[in-house]
Amino acid sequence: MAKILIIDDDPDFVLALRVPLEARGFAVEEAGSAEEGIQKVLSVRPDLVILDVMMPAGYEGFDVARAIREQHGLKDLPIVILTSLHDKHQVPYRFAPDETYLPVDVFLDKPVKAEALVKTVEDLLGERREEPKHPL
Amino acid sequence: MRQSDIVVIGGSAAGLTAAITARRGYADRKVLIVRREQQVLIPCGIPYIFGTVGSPQKNLISDAVLEKNGIELLLAEATDIDRERKAVHTTAGEVGYERLVLATGSRPTMLPISGCDLDGVYAIVKDVEYLGKLQRRLETARNVAVIGGGFIGVEFADEINKAGDKHVTVVEVAPHCLSLAYDEEFCVEMEKVIASRGIDIRTSARVARIEGVGKVERVVLSDGSAVEADVVIMGVGAVAAVDLAKKAGLHVGLTGGITVDRTMRTSDESIFACGDCAEKTSFFGGRPSPLKLASIATFEARIAGANLFGIRRENAGTVGVWSTALGGTALATAGLTETMAQERGYDVVASTVEGPNRHPGGMPGAANTRVKLVFERHSGVILGGQVMGDAAAGEIINAVSACVQKKMTAEDIAMFQVGTHPALTASPVVYHVVNAAEMAIQQMTERGA
Repeated sequence: MAKILIIDDDPDFVLALRVPLEARGFAVEEAGSAEEGIQKVLSVRPDLVILDVMMPAGYEGFDVARAIREQHGLKDLPIVILTSLHDKHQVPYRFAPDETYLPVDVFLDKPVKAEALVKTVEDLLGERREEPKHPL
Repeated sequence: MRQSDIVVIGGSAAGLTAAITARRGYADRKVLIVRREQQVLIPCGIPYIFGTVGSPQKNLISDAVLEKNGIELLLAEATDIDRERKAVHTTAGEVGYERLVLATGSRPTMLPISGCDLDGVYAIVKDVEYLGKLQRRLETARNVAVIGGGFIGVEFADEINKAGDKHVTVVEVAPHCLSLAYDEEFCVEMEKVIASRGIDIRTSARVARIEGVGKVERVVLSDGSAVEADVVIMGVGAVAAVDLAKKAGLHVGLTGGITVDRTMRTSDESIFACGDCAEKTSFFGGRPSPLKLASIATFEARIAGANLFGIRRENAGTVGVWSTALGGTALATAGLTETMAQERGYDVVASTVEGPNRHPGGMPGAANTRVKLVFERHSGVILGGQVMGDAAAGEIINAVSACVQKKMTAEDIAMFQVGTHPALTASPVVYHVVNAAEMAIQQMTERGA
């Protein structure tokens, strides 16, 4: 059973994600701060991390992603980062995954539909199957 | 509800080309473009607004092409798609469709670093008003930092530098500018050209943060040094604009683009996508490709537009062909560089030929031209090429791209029947592309012997 770690300070949002992820057979762990998140990455050894950018101290999520990949060397651990930055500030640009500056696999804008997030998680873990309409 | 057989959302390179192609292929069908922007910028011309061209108003795609092709235009923002009823909600009412093309483009990316939201930090937003503001800001700027040494960053730096009263610095995280598209020897040559024009280059330079009180004052690098700047321009790439597609429940791929098959059809059989908003796959091996170019957008649009009511064309993948020019020096690339091909595991043979592009070399207008071709050793199939020279490089590379797309071998290219003329081309005895293929064959044969 794949383990998903959700790092987010919003318990309602964590619950809203936990339910559909567990329904699809994932084991869900959670952490409410950046520090706890990094500790759990090392102790729980999740298969995938879902990370919120806007923790109370600002853009902490970006730092957490960099710490996971660079300081702790977990280069293959899939990371999905979630943010409401674009919507909140109405900026004409986007933050996006970047090998150097933002080492995550997927950047999703909040509000995100739980169904879409589950699909992304399944894509990253190679667990999504589609039945093609035609054999060729 | 307004109704059109074909509705295209987006009116830039991809949307316009998809609409024109649809009109050509389905002459009895009504085509409507729904477009948010009053005026559409020529995407590749954006850097030239700040120097050669002079203003955003001089870098626009004319709407006359719509009338000429019998395409209707609705200036409105598409806010939602009702896939059940086949209708697009717009700020000017609903529009029904039989086939829908999404050409919603991309948004520039911003580095997620402290200070990226300071006054004076600009992304390259394809918007007349935004770029007009940047242009006015640049009028009083003394120090400009361009973050990103890809072709857009380099072109921006060079155009801004033309004003002559600013100190322009390009900051690039990789060891060389332009290294995502060119082998090192070409990057080094181009960096010399950039430096000779008075532009500072900081390579292998990671940005730690942007500092300033209220407005930008400097870019601090991770080695602790700083680049003074009263304007910072981010030329660090773009991501697909897929808000509308996501809202409509269309499948979006892991690189962030709308998932399409080789016919450019999305997960909804009545909806196609093309251009920057669509997910791309590489011509070489089929992995996802992040490349976003107007030339790719129009190529995909010609596929999408042709396939709306029956499959006529397929996308073999993104080859990646483009060029840039600084002053009289042009640099062009198609397909894989030698380095990229090696990194992907190809057994590579590369050959480089250099010489004048007139014969004899003393003919007026002669310029030194360097052509490098990259082949897979066992099949002899061409994987890519790079050209450095004068303006002709931009067209030589298009010929190389045709070779790549048709998977020609070195032998096919060595057997080209080329037309040559003293005032127009290199000599038929040492024609660059042919000679490079001949040299590659020699290398392949020597190893096999």
